[in-house]
Amino acid sequence: MKTSDLGVRMTLTQILKMLVACILVITFILVSASAYRQHRTISSLAKLTDATSSIVTQLAVDQLAHVDETGKKYSYALDMVRLENLKFESEIGGENFEFQISISYQGSENRRFGPEPPENSTNCSLIVPCSLWSNNRFQLAKLGVIAWRV
Amino acid sequence: MKVEGVADILSMAFMFILLVFGAVLINAYSMRPLRAATDRQLELKCEYTYEALETSWVEPYTISFLMAATENIVLEHPTVPGPYLRSAMENALDYLSPPGYEISSTFTNDGGTTLTFNENKAPSSKQFVRSGAVSIMGASGENVVVQVVIKLFSVS
Repeated sequence: MKTSDLGVRMTLTQILKMLVACILVITFILVSASAYRQHRTISSLAKLTDATSSIVTQLAVDQLAHVDETGKKYSYALDMVRLENLKFESEIGGENFEFQISISYQGSENRRFGPEPPENSTNCSLIVPCSLWSNNRFQLAKLGVIAWRV
Repeated sequence: MKVEGVADILSMAFMFILLVFGAVLINAYSMRPLRAATDRQLELKCEYTYEALETSWVEPYTISFLMAATENIVLEHPTVPGPYLRSAMENALDYLSPPGYEISSTFTNDGGTTLTFNENKAPSSKQFVRSGAVSIMGASGENVVVQVVIKLFSVS
């Protein structure tokens, strides 16, 4: 009887140890999978953030920059006239992005240009200070961009 | 047999602690790329603030904010009067600062004369700095260089 009791107790102990080990392994796999998924999501968000910065720079330095009669380009000074020929899409790092622009200056309301951001997609918004060429004056303004993946 | 049992339990407990520490570390470090990207955006805003002040004119004059401040520090009779420039510059810095952040600007010439806007706002430990220089012709015809420092910092 004593030998049989000892056998049952050992088997139970082994089963418990095995169970705990299995739980540990499963938890490890779940934590790793969750961390990998979170890392991918965060990397994707960081790329979108950098792409938005890149779009803002393209707009402020080149695409919307004011050009005077002599052909001199004023980087960081926006000209609303240049919005007419602007395409609200950009390819950065092999990925396609669409964006919406907003321009405002002191004492004015935000004016939006371009398509509305889709509701079911992640987007990133960035507002930077800039200058606006308006009424033959350079005035303080803000350029906002909301970008999302296509 | 008893010693073997205790050793097994200890090793499992150790594995469990390692697992918990690993999970905490993974979570703590996984946000770093996003924080770094946000910091890059703030650095970009600081750079754009400098450029905007360098390009935009002080109302109703036809002189940029940076040049107006440089004139105030170098010339006896600047285009924009000092008190008016202070009000205009501080309004501009308040308008340009992102929510939760403040911007201050400091102008220093070779003689050590300093002009600071938003000086009462103390920078926190996290701040982004853009420095540059503006040159202007002095009263006696010499070229005077004024150092400009723009600071973007979070409000604590």
